[in-house]
Amino acid sequence: MTSYTVYMDQLPGLLELWAKEFQVHVPVEVEEGIYDFVPWRKDEEIAWEYDVAYNTLKRFFLPPRETLLRFDPAACTAEVVCEAPKQLLFGVHPYDVKAANQLDTLMRKDVPDNNFIARKKNTVIFALEPAAVARNAFWASVDAHKVDNGYDLYWTRISSASFHVEVATRRGKELLLAGGPLDLATDADKEATRRAHQRIVKESLRNGLKYPWRETADILSRAWDSTLWQHRARHCFSCGTCNLVCPTCYCFDMKEELDNSLTKGERYREWDGCMMDSFSRVAGDHNFRPHTRERFRHRYYRKGKYIFDKIGQLGCVGCGRCVSGCTSGIADPKAVFNELWEADRHDS
Amino acid sequence: MTPDTLFQYVPTPATLVKKEKLSDFVTLFTFQPDSGRALMHKPGQFIMLSMYGVGEAPFSVSSPPNASGSTFELAVRRIGNVTNAMHAMKVGQKVGIRGPYGTSFPVQDFVGKDTIFVAGGLGYIPLRSLLHYQLRHRDEFGRIIVMIGCRNPSERIFIDQIKELEARDDVEVYETVDCGDESWCGNVGLITSLLPHVEIDPDITHVAMVGPPVMYKFVIKQCQARGISRENIYVSLERHMKCGIGKCGHCQINGLNACVEGPVFKYHDIQTHPEAI
Repeated sequence: MTSYTVYMDQLPGLLELWAKEFQVHVPVEVEEGIYDFVPWRKDEEIAWEYDVAYNTLKRFFLPPRETLLRFDPAACTAEVVCEAPKQLLFGVHPYDVKAANQLDTLMRKDVPDNNFIARKKNTVIFALEPAAVARNAFWASVDAHKVDNGYDLYWTRISSASFHVEVATRRGKELLLAGGPLDLATDADKEATRRAHQRIVKESLRNGLKYPWRETADILSRAWDSTLWQHRARHCFSCGTCNLVCPTCYCFDMKEELDNSLTKGERYREWDGCMMDSFSRVAGDHNFRPHTRERFRHRYYRKGKYIFDKIGQLGCVGCGRCVSGCTSGIADPKAVFNELWEADRHDS
Repeated sequence: MTPDTLFQYVPTPATLVKKEKLSDFVTLFTFQPDSGRALMHKPGQFIMLSMYGVGEAPFSVSSPPNASGSTFELAVRRIGNVTNAMHAMKVGQKVGIRGPYGTSFPVQDFVGKDTIFVAGGLGYIPLRSLLHYQLRHRDEFGRIIVMIGCRNPSERIFIDQIKELEARDDVEVYETVDCGDESWCGNVGLITSLLPHVEIDPDITHVAMVGPPVMYKFVIKQCQARGISRENIYVSLERHMKCGIGKCGHCQINGLNACVEGPVFKYHDIQTHPEAI
């Protein structure tokens, strides 16, 4: 695969070129020690060494609120709305690329969700090798330290002044060479890239699952009656933060609203969360998961088993956002899974 | 690609052509798709119905496939925003529909077999589609045994149709209410009180059951005690589907999406799913 060496001082020119065609988003330090993707502006200092983006990147493909239809209630007609801005996410860590790939697979399954697919298609992703591991992250232990698709270019910072950039798609190559020819990467640069990857994976592995991630679904298949669910969920506020910050949670609600004249309206979808009490309530006020322990368990089954049973991947990429975001400190997938594994080992 | 895959969330218009009150809370709505084309649903499937400006909700189709021309029927209880708005509709008004969605009762598996219909409360609504299909092709099916249970006599629906069924000699109808009143001189007791009165041949009996969540496990236990195989017990599990296409997560029963892998399940396939029954 072709790869190039890009020098730091070549970047401003390239970013300007890309920004003509795309809404470019980059990671920056938004508050001390807190990073997030924001629209790129000239002179914006990109946080190349960010550990994790505070908010999940799913918002670029599945916005928190997305209009799906515009309708005329009197005529009873509706037209499809499918907005897909051209956007470029520069600096996406592999675990977030993996999460986006997973959403893509699930949204294409059975009946494809064209709104999601259109947005994803119009999004250029420049992946970036992480240079730091967030305190609560454990992505290497859940197989999310590497991805082999779902990005256009893969950037690794190999010195304070240069990057090694591996080309993954034609679109990526065209954008990379938009400002003119670049130096092909040398063997030394490739070696530096390999070492950077090894170093960070090693660091990420310090914190993680104590067993091979593939066993999670199997462990869960025997954990339905574990007391862990009750123990942890006793402190759950059902706030849904873990759902909101999770890069692989994609449940949504369908809602609609009319304009002031009541002659036009739109139907939209809005992020929803299975941790919320209202999530599985049906007509007649019956609730299929009325207790926090049931909702808590459902979430971990979905991450560890249901998605695995469907597509062979863990529904958790180990980003640790839920751990950091949880109001009462109970939402930690690695702690939950490790505890269940310990109990399972003890039982068998 | 069918239109469904292109515009997965866009409803098409249908017009209300008839409205008939079934009880104080339940009304039977007959709709005609404006396209003139029949819904092409199978018994047990559901559609998503839009009352623009109010919302969208899932409803089981109550009429058998292609009952008369291209109209279809929904029997709806007034209970939330969408259903209240539906009850306020006048004939000639329009709604949006998309679907049909989900699995259906596998009609071919019932051919030549005896069928017990177990309808708890509004469960009669989706079962009616299969029941009327069987009645239309009466010769192809064995005994038709219909068991209906309601909380009280005022909640009974399709009263006249059920009376007509009772008058037929090729249909066996058993009805009960949980609590009787002065107007009721029939059976009083839970729906589980009906099955013991019926002689069945478990080897050729299929069960189709729809009712409130609490009903299933008791009736299933009873059916199994009578020797009916879990392969021949079909249930329709209703959840609040929001997207209808297996994405939004609302109707999940463990790892299953009730909108795609259900709502009709063979009991054998869901018995290990603790959230199902």
